[in-house]
Amino acid sequence: MPGAFFCVAATLIEYFFGLGPALTVMLVGLVIADYLFVPPYADFSVFDYHDVRLLLSYPTLTIFIIALIERLRRMQFRAELFASVAKSRYEMLLRADNNRALRLRTIDETHRLLRHLPHYHDTIILIQALDRKASLRPDAEHAAGSASTLPHTSAPGSRFSSVHPADIARLQNTLSPGSHRLRVKSGEHHYKPVDCVGERFTTHAGDFLVLRIED
Amino acid sequence: MDRAKHILQEGGEHAVLMLHGLSSSPLEMRFLARHLNNEGFTAFAPVLDGYSAGTSERDMQAWVDAAVHEFDKLAKRYARVSVCGLSVGAALALAVVNQRPTAHAVVLLSVTLSYDGWAIPWYRFLLGWAYYTPLRSRWRYREASPFGLRNEALRAKIARAMQRNGISEVGPSTISLPALREASRLATRVRAKLADIATDCLIIHAIDDETANPRNAHYVAAKIASPFLRTIYLDDSYHMITSDNEREIVASETAAFLRESEAARGIGNGAKSQVVSKALARRLRQLAALGS
Repeated sequence: MPGAFFCVAATLIEYFFGLGPALTVMLVGLVIADYLFVPPYADFSVFDYHDVRLLLSYPTLTIFIIALIERLRRMQFRAELFASVAKSRYEMLLRADNNRALRLRTIDETHRLLRHLPHYHDTIILIQALDRKASLRPDAEHAAGSASTLPHTSAPGSRFSSVHPADIARLQNTLSPGSHRLRVKSGEHHYKPVDCVGERFTTHAGDFLVLRIED
Repeated sequence: MDRAKHILQEGGEHAVLMLHGLSSSPLEMRFLARHLNNEGFTAFAPVLDGYSAGTSERDMQAWVDAAVHEFDKLAKRYARVSVCGLSVGAALALAVVNQRPTAHAVVLLSVTLSYDGWAIPWYRFLLGWAYYTPLRSRWRYREASPFGLRNEALRAKIARAMQRNGISEVGPSTISLPALREASRLATRVRAKLADIATDCLIIHAIDDETANPRNAHYVAAKIASPFLRTIYLDDSYHMITSDNEREIVASETAAFLRESEAARGIGNGAKSQVVSKALARRLRQLAALGS
């Protein structure tokens, strides 16, 4: 069959490069096959049974194979798009799961803070909101006494007034989670160094740091 | 056709410049603007002279200049400015971030560099040549059903609005030939500049987009040089993803991406971008391994 070689060529071109190039190769192949491989050779002027056989068999078979491959290629493209959607949704799901886990963690932290506050109520020196937007004392500007020396993101605890004023001033800039050593009033005018601890709580309402006298 | 009005919703220090589709109006971005504003962003969808509906048509360089001008105005007032575009507006957003690499992030919704969706008429390729004929000022491309919408109830409402006003919240009823040609020129320019764009990029595209084949999104994702690139494909929308069935997903993913982009640069509340889910951590490791 004179068109067999060009049929294979057009099929391979369809597989690797798509429909347009494959149809071009098929048409060019038809002309070349008729010119070179159909008797009388190298002559277009004679049109006989051999030409009719080529014109019917070669394009029909080639278009049939190309159409099948094109159909599979389109289905493959469609399947790849659905896979992309599935991947997008899986990643959205993972991000939502991460947000859920973060929220669960903040709820746990809130519960821990709520248990912490009454338990250590008598030893708390200071509670500070670490989120700049949070305010623990909206009325701070109007407050009087030693608490007014605190920024509006901090609230005094039950032992705040017994801490040395210089340590309070230092804490405002350097307060961080971990151990601190502060001077706490032990007599009328006497201050004694005491170990304190700052704990951070990441709650749904923001981050808080609670500074208390260590047990 | 009435001249459209811009949408400005003041929020935080991160402003988002929202560019609507070709010859359309900021109404297309209304839902997304409202959601971004609720999430703490400042959302601004301007009317661009020469590009938006109701303004006299100008060439694509004028579109880019007008969009860059709006970007500069926002950059003077806000600490961070991101650019978000829909359809041809996404191509315009790419042109803006190419000229302003200081942009925080770029969000490409149904990016259209080529009109090759399934509803585009077969004679579309002839329109480039028709521009050089008397058809240039006489013929207009007429929008037809499905109007970029998979949601049939919304589609019926849009069809009525288009008949009544000549424009709807998902675009105009007709687009002129010169505007289409300028959009093609813009796409050609953007294609050439994609490799130079290194702004954080989110691409959202519907796989059944009837105007722009998903190949547009594939192309941009493959060529753009963004270090933080996320591509999301939708399967229940057509072209107008800011109005269609999955508009809530589009809005929430856009806001989440902008927040993550901030966190990646150490801006804003870092805790919000923490990875505590083991499954997400595993997936991120997989992606990192694929990228390396």
